Amino acid sequence: MKPAPFDYYAPDSVEEAVALLERLEGEDVEAKILAGGQSLMPMLNLRVARPDALIDLRKLDTLKYIRDEGEVIAIGAMTSKSDAEDSGLLKQQQPLFQHASYLIGHRQIRNRGTVGGSFAHADPAAEYGAAAMALGIEMKIVGPDGERVVAAEDFYITFLTADIDSTEILTEVRVPKMAPGTGWSFQEMARRDGDLALAGAAVTLRLEGGNCSEVRVAVFGVNGSPARIAEAEQLLEGSSPADELFRQAGKAAAAAVDEPIADVHGSGDYRRQLISVLVARCLAEAVERAA
Amino acid sequence: MVRDIPNSPDMLPITSTRYVGKAVKRIEDPALVSGTVEFIDNYSVPGMAHCAMMRSPHPHARVLSVDTGAAEKMPGVYAVLTGEDVKKWCNPMATSPEGWGAYCLAVDKVRFVGEPVVAVAATSRYVAEDALELIDVEYELLPVLVDPHKALEADSPTLFEENKTNVIQDRSYTWGEIDQVFSEADHVFTEKFRWNRCGANPMETFGCVCDWDTVNDYVTCRGSYQTPGFMALGRAGSFNLPSNKIKVISHPHGGSFGGKGGPRGTEIAALLSRKAGGRPVKYIEDRVEYLLAGAGQSWDRYYKASIAVKADGSVSGFKVDLLDDQGAGSEGWGTISVAKPLAAFTGCYRIEAAQYNMKLVVSNRAPTFAYRGYGPPPHNLVLESLMDIAARELGVDAAEFRRRNYIQPEQFPYTIPSGNEYDSGDYEAVLDKVLGMADYQALRAEQEKLRAEGKLVGIGVASTVEPGVFDWNAYSTVGVAGVGVPEGVKVAIDIMGQITVTVGFSLEGQGQYTLAAQLVADYFCVEMESVRVAYAATDVAPPHFGPGGSRLGVAMSGAILGACQKIEDKFAQVVARLMQTEPGNVELMDGHMRVKGVPGAEMHIAQVAGTMLNRSDLLPPGMEPCPEATYVWTAPNRNQPDDQGRCRSYLTAANACHVALVEIDPGTGVTDILKYFIVDDCGTRLNPATVEGQIQGGVAQGVGAAFFEEYVYTEDCQPLVSLFSDYLLPTIHEVPIAAKGDVVTPSPVAPLGAKGCGEGAIHTTPATLMCAVNDALFPLGVQIRETPMSPNRVWTLIQQAQ
Ligand SMILES: Cc1cc2nc3c(=O)[nH]c(=O)nc-3n(C[C@H](O)[C@H](O)[C@H](O)COP(=O)(O)OP(=O)(O)OC[C@H]3O[C@@H](n4cnc5c(N)ncnc54)[C@H](O)[C@@H]3O)c2cc1C
Repeated sequence: MKPAPFDYYAPDSVEEAVALLERLEGEDVEAKILAGGQSLMPMLNLRVARPDALIDLRKLDTLKYIRDEGEVIAIGAMTSKSDAEDSGLLKQQQPLFQHASYLIGHRQIRNRGTVGGSFAHADPAAEYGAAAMALGIEMKIVGPDGERVVAAEDFYITFLTADIDSTEILTEVRVPKMAPGTGWSFQEMARRDGDLALAGAAVTLRLEGGNCSEVRVAVFGVNGSPARIAEAEQLLEGSSPADELFRQAGKAAAAAVDEPIADVHGSGDYRRQLISVLVARCLAEAVERAA
Repeated sequence: MVRDIPNSPDMLPITSTRYVGKAVKRIEDPALVSGTVEFIDNYSVPGMAHCAMMRSPHPHARVLSVDTGAAEKMPGVYAVLTGEDVKKWCNPMATSPEGWGAYCLAVDKVRFVGEPVVAVAATSRYVAEDALELIDVEYELLPVLVDPHKALEADSPTLFEENKTNVIQDRSYTWGEIDQVFSEADHVFTEKFRWNRCGANPMETFGCVCDWDTVNDYVTCRGSYQTPGFMALGRAGSFNLPSNKIKVISHPHGGSFGGKGGPRGTEIAALLSRKAGGRPVKYIEDRVEYLLAGAGQSWDRYYKASIAVKADGSVSGFKVDLLDDQGAGSEGWGTISVAKPLAAFTGCYRIEAAQYNMKLVVSNRAPTFAYRGYGPPPHNLVLESLMDIAARELGVDAAEFRRRNYIQPEQFPYTIPSGNEYDSGDYEAVLDKVLGMADYQALRAEQEKLRAEGKLVGIGVASTVEPGVFDWNAYSTVGVAGVGVPEGVKVAIDIMGQITVTVGFSLEGQGQYTLAAQLVADYFCVEMESVRVAYAATDVAPPHFGPGGSRLGVAMSGAILGACQKIEDKFAQVVARLMQTEPGNVELMDGHMRVKGVPGAEMHIAQVAGTMLNRSDLLPPGMEPCPEATYVWTAPNRNQPDDQGRCRSYLTAANACHVALVEIDPGTGVTDILKYFIVDDCGTRLNPATVEGQIQGGVAQGVGAAFFEEYVYTEDCQPLVSLFSDYLLPTIHEVPIAAKGDVVTPSPVAPLGAKGCGEGAIHTTPATLMCAVNDALFPLGVQIRETPMSPNRVWTLIQQAQ
């Protein structure tokens, strides 16, 4: 379990890193960005990833921040997940994102793993995927042609694949603040505390005149990418909250899941069942928090 | 002079013990947990090479050709070892029953995914792994033997072709009038169970550094060995070396639980060293290698079992049909775990007749190995589940039903149908204590209330006997005919009165060095700090076996007490001569050799030792000037088995009762352990803190087996588990810290009355949890009979109910 040989670079700035990526691409050298290494290092050790070069972003302190930008909280890609977990700003103004951070792995992993790394890695079981969908998070990506901003819906492509070109770097995620009065919930089922989830759900909603509105339901862990579930949202939108309705929404969400993953931890049917239960439970909790 | 080993701490030569029986802090733990001991991966020598292995991707294939040319030429590669070399230099592993052992590297064919095919020694592990990529192996795929039931059929693909069968053993033992008992029973309950493969996962995998002195043909193997003496003898056999030409040095290691393995890795590293001209070769097994093909897989079992019950609720018969999938050979003594249940076949109960039908077969899964408990955890799960089934059908409470069937205190020593003799016990006292701690009646009331609210809440009660101090005779069933397992120590007192205890086993975390220091310190009334425990390699160590089969604490205590007594006797002779009396008039008490009845006529042990070491002219004629003694203890009164495998095997019989309260989430199938209570009786508790640690660790492994751990294979024998993200060990979040209590019924036959206590909790926990889950599921009309009781499995059952 030792990696195959690779060249190693640790650029001092984003510009330098992008230039390096571009140069290596031109030379037909396969390069990979190294952030916290919590996903990439095991892949290197198992030789499932074998890039010719690693570009380590560890010197990019400029990408370590959690900033209040009014409507939005901007988080630098190299911010550790434990910093996100500990952030007072997130706790107060975006508790769903804060809680999602807390649910990732164990504290040791959150200490080293970065926020940007999680988004870029696009593991379908990553909590941030559901958070991105439910909250409408945007990604700021820098490449040879400058900067672009991608919406969550367009960012996730499939298993371990996000809309980041091989010469680009994810530099920031932009998380909208949670409007006061919003009810939210984030729940998942993992075999053990800290494991990647078999399935999970994130919900935000508001109550207007006793009826649900602005309902967002996102699920993750069940198939290639996190997804919003319009079928569940529509059932709730404008309706008065009730357990039976939550159950129906859960069923609708489960039915909307395409090709659920089956592995040693659970069958596809079982994962669908989890979605059904978790969505219903999230809705109930979100309503409770909104009320 | 031959003396009996004291069977109670009161008999130690000290007014009142200062360490024995106390939860003293463990002397070895700080170095182990801070990593300052020399774990094998921290050990290196100049010029040392590193080994990597190419492993089979196929479960069953003929090896047509192996091309190592490019790898041999790669810079940094010292040697490449293949099946051809191994055939020349080594024998198949003798840890399997004869004819079922494989070579350390595949010779002619591979029988499981992960079987080593080629090994490389190079300047670093990195280079060695790079070199593996240059090796070409051509395979011809063979039909795969997946289902152990098929192994019984004549036309199944044979793994060991020369044997013409896949059945290692098909044997039946009958104890008592089993047919009569079953025909006269008022009720017979029969059920099938499936225990899926799980096993040991020590924190540290196996590792070794071997060098083959090619001039003298002398081999030195350092490594994380659980049973060094045994390993040395075995390797002498493998390498056709005289037994005094191999030395094994066991380094402190991060746990074992039977899973350290070692024969394969040691042989490969040693032969690589031989091929590399004597350069030392390090092999550190990584976790992927461990999970695929290390010594971590055990107990792949299909059971069909019945109990016969009379109308009054007494259980009279117990029949077990076992089909055990040993995997591709049983190089890790995997067969023994089928025999071990004989030592406590009928558990805590007065069951008069029993039968055990064992079918051991091979398949193209990885070979199976020893795992803590060595077989009884699944067996107990079967027996305890049947007890619950019977109790429920007869409308008797689960705890009450067990109570009615317990062996009574006055019946000890008690010979069970399968032949072993239990030394002592008070099972009802243990039950009563744990029911009291759990407030059992209130717990049942609470359960009723929660059930009425629609909650799936269950209570499990399970009682077991833990055989302690293993003896080879227990394993006659699988062809091991020996009696007696030695444990030897040397105790030496220096001129300053400091005492060194030399042992043949190294540190792996159970606290035996502390226990050694406790015993010696109390025997000679010195501070524990004055006692050092030293490890000796196999070339100089006294005969020993090491930890295994819940034996070392007891066995080592016997050895230490024996050695201390020998020193005391020597000292009595010296003091008698100096004080001009008879040795019989001199006794040891509180660290002084005293002349009986003469106040003030005494010498401190340091003075006696100093006199011996410095003034040999004063010693009795012919006495060596050595204040030291070696003693080798074996369990007394063991015997050869009869034709039904019956013998006095394990010396002690500890007992435990666990009570668990669980709740199942019907939506997800997840089981939560809400409460967990344990009372155990392992006789005298020499160090209660260590006993508690053993119990809590066993609970953790029991929770793992019950809910999490499983080596999953596909329909064509490809392993799906090769990472810790797939093989789920329970963590601190999943394992309840059990409330624990004790009952102390000393062993009348073991040193200081202590019983083996290393395995009881893993024997009992899976059974308790399965009983609890089934109690929770009962209102739904479904029951689970398979481990692990994963959320998916439990949810599937709940679905069936609806
Ligand atoms: C035991 C364990 C448990 C875990 N449990 C969870 C869990 O429950 N939930 C969860 O979500 N994750 C979990 N993880 C994964 C963890 O969160 C990783 O930290 C995360 O997936 C990757 O972040 P990283 O900073 O470590 O990135 P790295 O491992 O360094 O990189 C991951 C990938 O992203 C790319 N990358 C990284 N940063 C950038 C960037 N700025 N721009 C472009 N590409 C980039 C890399 O090239 C690489 O392909 C777990 C990991 C472990 C080891």
